[in-house]
Amino acid sequence: MSEETQIQHSTTETPGSSQAVPAPPALEVKGISKAYTERRRVTSVLNNVSLKVEQQEFVSIVGPSGCGKSTLFHIIGGLEQPDAGTISMNGSLVTGQRGEISYMPQQPALFPWRTIEDNVLIAGEIKGVPQDQAREEARHWLAKVGLSGFERAYPHMLSGGMQQRAAFLRALLAPQELMLLDEPFSALDALTRSEMQRWLLELWEENRRSVLFITHNIEEALLLSNRIYVFSGRPGSVLHTVDIPFPRPRREEITDSPEFLLLKRQLSQWMREEQEKSATTKG
Amino acid sequence: MRSTWKQLWPPLVAVIFLLTGWQLAVSLFHVEAWILPSPTDIIREFNANATGIWVHTLATLRLTLIGFPIGTAVGLIIALLLHLLPWTRRAFYPLLILSQNVPSIALAPLLVIWFGFGLLPKIILITLVCFFPVAVATMSGLAQSDGIMLNYMKMAGAGKWQIFTKLELPSSLPSLFSGVKISATYAVMGAVVAEWIGADKGIGYYMLLQKSAYHTDRMFVAIVIIVLLSLVLFAIIALLEKWLVRWKPRRNS
Ligand SMILES: Nc1ncnc2c1ncn2[C@@H]1O[C@H](COP(=O)(O)OP(=O)(O)OP(=O)(O)O)[C@@H](O)[C@H]1O
Ligand SMILES: [Mg+2]
Repeated sequence: MSEETQIQHSTTETPGSSQAVPAPPALEVKGISKAYTERRRVTSVLNNVSLKVEQQEFVSIVGPSGCGKSTLFHIIGGLEQPDAGTISMNGSLVTGQRGEISYMPQQPALFPWRTIEDNVLIAGEIKGVPQDQAREEARHWLAKVGLSGFERAYPHMLSGGMQQRAAFLRALLAPQELMLLDEPFSALDALTRSEMQRWLLELWEENRRSVLFITHNIEEALLLSNRIYVFSGRPGSVLHTVDIPFPRPRREEITDSPEFLLLKRQLSQWMREEQEKSATTKG
Repeated sequence: MRSTWKQLWPPLVAVIFLLTGWQLAVSLFHVEAWILPSPTDIIREFNANATGIWVHTLATLRLTLIGFPIGTAVGLIIALLLHLLPWTRRAFYPLLILSQNVPSIALAPLLVIWFGFGLLPKIILITLVCFFPVAVATMSGLAQSDGIMLNYMKMAGAGKWQIFTKLELPSSLPSLFSGVKISATYAVMGAVVAEWIGADKGIGYYMLLQKSAYHTDRMFVAIVIIVLLSLVLFAIIALLEKWLVRWKPRRNS
């Protein structure tokens, strides 16, 4: 896949082919490393991570717990400075720059003093986008994710799963094009989870936003993604890059196909190996 | 309605119990009225003097209602300033703490020397009493906003001012109100002390008059009025809090 994109890039540079200029990737992470120092102990969290999200691509990251996935999101979002490496979006360098991405944190982190509707609208409000039309749209979407009747409710009145859906909507309705989703479905029960997966799949295939998605669930990653990056244990680095060949639009039935099961087995094995490795190095 | 009653009856019972004990003690041990009047004495005195006391009550109420908002506002402004400009916090926070070691009653004569007997020294005294709890509680509230929400706002591109108005200020409200409630209980007291400085009406002035005449029962009437005024002010602030912080999950106790 990476070869393929490189070929595309080289063709853009030849003169005369200006009509078919492929847009630069929505996100390009190059050689990111990060270490934290706490009480004079240096913990390396990310080691030379490079990955890419092309325009309108759905890309997932899977990896053992604590391997720096959330930290990578913080770096992409400009919250933290990397020790090395660069972040570019749509061809321009944005390392350390904030406000460029739409983000769903691992914990819902809804604002308790805002109603659900106002919570969902905050990203646009921060960016100074006019709110009248957005409000209308928010109501429409709240109904779509099963939160109608809760527009004026405060977050503490919602169940954990409902809060997560609201946090997801907040990311979806943000004005930024690139979405970073940090385990959006982790607090949901299995049934709601698969429902939300199906819903996200449909939604994404309709709208085609560029998405970078963190998950622990391999099946979820396979169902949704164009590409999956498998991370090693801490310090996190890209172990494998897997392109997912299933055509779009995808239906949930592909989870029963032999190719799917084969990929799932492969990925699960890699994950298990990493988990065991990090367990033995710690123990 | 039922739940307010449920909250109300235990302190009511306690108060009635105390008053009964007081009444019994006074009559059993034959305490002289000029040393300790019984509750019924106080009520009788109150009824006999109601119109006369009313003028003084109104004067104190007026002073409180001017001084308390000013004191609260000064506390809020100091908190915001010290929060938004970290160097002012480093410079002035120790001074702020030190200022509380100066007893306000000791300042009263000085204020008279500087500002005379008018309204100004009284307002300044109430402000000195009221600003501190508000300032300290608000500052700690502003500094304690949730880290994950802060991260979210930063990644969404929020600037310092947006973080302040959309995150720090709302999350400081519960703490801010606990400061304002303390100030509300101090405010009436501050007004009474201010009237001791020099006034021609007000509960403080009334107390001075009755003290010189050994009218202990009337002193108690004045104390009851001070307590009632404080309670009413406190209740109004508590109601305001309930409305402004309605988003907070109510703890079941
Ligand atoms: N601000 C910080 N200071 C010090 N250490 C940190 C900080 N942020 C993260 N870490 C450390 O970095 C490591 C990676 O954390 P991170 O949250 O990125 O993991 P993760 O891959 O998202 O894990 P999970 O799947 O459990 O969410 C952890 O060991 C954590 O302790
Ligand atoms: Mg994480």
